[in-house]
Amino acid sequence: MKFKGKSFIAIVLSPEPPFEEWLKEVDRIIARSPGFFVDRPIILDVRGSNIPIADLEQLLADLRERSIRVMGIDGVAGTRLKEGMPPSFGGGRLTSDVEVPEPASKSGESGDAKPDKNNSQVKTDDDHGQNANGHSFAKSLEELENQQAKEGNSSIVISEPVRSGQSILHPDGDVTVIGSVSSGAEIIAGGSIHIYGALRGRALAGVAGKDNARIFCTKLDAELVSINGLYKVADDFDGTLRNSPAQIRFENETLVFEELN
Amino acid sequence: MSNATVVVVTSGKGGVGKTTTTAAIASALAKEGYQVCAIDFDVGLRNLDLIMGAERRVVFDLVNVVRGEASIKQALVRDKKLNNLYLLPASQTRDKDALTEEGVANVISELRTYFDWVICDSPAGIERGATLAMRHADEAIIVSNPEVSSVRDCDRIIGLLDAKTKIAEDGGRMPKHLMITRYDTDRAKTGDMLATEDVVDILSVPLIGVVPESKDVLKASNVGLPVTLSDETSPPAKAYMEAVRRLLGENIPVTIPEEKKSFFGKLFKGRAA
Repeated sequence: MKFKGKSFIAIVLSPEPPFEEWLKEVDRIIARSPGFFVDRPIILDVRGSNIPIADLEQLLADLRERSIRVMGIDGVAGTRLKEGMPPSFGGGRLTSDVEVPEPASKSGESGDAKPDKNNSQVKTDDDHGQNANGHSFAKSLEELENQQAKEGNSSIVISEPVRSGQSILHPDGDVTVIGSVSSGAEIIAGGSIHIYGALRGRALAGVAGKDNARIFCTKLDAELVSINGLYKVADDFDGTLRNSPAQIRFENETLVFEELN
Repeated sequence: MSNATVVVVTSGKGGVGKTTTTAAIASALAKEGYQVCAIDFDVGLRNLDLIMGAERRVVFDLVNVVRGEASIKQALVRDKKLNNLYLLPASQTRDKDALTEEGVANVISELRTYFDWVICDSPAGIERGATLAMRHADEAIIVSNPEVSSVRDCDRIIGLLDAKTKIAEDGGRMPKHLMITRYDTDRAKTGDMLATEDVVDILSVPLIGVVPESKDVLKASNVGLPVTLSDETSPPAKAYMEAVRRLLGENIPVTIPEEKKSFFGKLFKGRAA
């Protein structure tokens, strides 16, 4: 067994009462850059605020509604936290600057004028597209794309052969390979799998429970194909389709192999 | 000061002819007049010195150099016949864990300044030794026999070349060449062996040469001479020379070896029938 260390810089949110106002501030940030909180380690810092647990619970629910996943709470003893709440965290060191588009701490520090000013600044930067904030605006767009990717209708394209021993895992959507998938390689996709080349390895489509996922390839020579957990190995394939273009779909709890023309 | 092209000769499986290929390519390049160094990365199982007939002249080896116990110039062994061909031998007494990544990087970068070509003979497998050998290469020659296990292991190695090398980490693509060795035309025809096209199709790497299975290779290694030096007219020597021309950038078609006796063979078969 191995233990590895990895360091992340977490965004620390320090909610301040009245929480309705503070949440509006959060909403404003989300409106400005929708991907900002997505997949970021987020810590809720309530140190020194003596927040009642019921309020904290409500606050967490409000944040969850905004798709902000709090990974830990700083400043509340673990024994006070209810079941289902993020764990208590401590011992964090403050870092001077986190490179983020619009500083999240702004919202924590309150001050209504500031974010508005910031907002207008971003707009002008967009026109000029030159200084630091302009860059951050582009970054938030990228995050938006990432977020859309996470939402499920994404697709990735691999423009080189997938080699023996390699595994492509994309649980959120389709995988397209321009090239062959070697024997000993595997493609695992939440959606469909498209292979413009020979499929000699394994293809597992619809792993997130999608019956309507399909596998397409220009040359079927697979070791194993699977859709939504239902699988067939090479020995069970219809021999007539060997080395020809094929599609595989899920129908009535079986895998249907068809020639693709 | 020249800046060498570093070529790694690799395969997943052992016994396919990596060392033979390294010796043959290195000596053929030296014959073309380039300053060439062959490095044996197969620490623990050194063989390249044997095939190049230098085993009695090894004083210091790669591990000594990597550890700073000897300078590169002390460790380099000059070839008996070609004075622009050098060998950096592997250690027989240590194992492959004796190599450090930083040490190897230093050795390669120093060799780059002395030579035009640095040919690295990689150990078989996908472990540390092999990844160290390929890490700083500019190009790769992938050696495969026309049989499924060899081809699949090569496929795995190609995956590593695209993931674990310096070039790949810097976002580049390493140019790769496929060398098919121990090719037996008759057995390929009868289906006992994979045909060249099948190997190329599976690996999708451009072919640099097809070396026929030949007794000349064994003969050459037993006398300690790279096959390209021992008998230049032999079919394997010709195949290697052709591969070198292609490595140097010439665009020539790959000769697929034909059985020399095929014409008579057919004749005899015809009569017998």
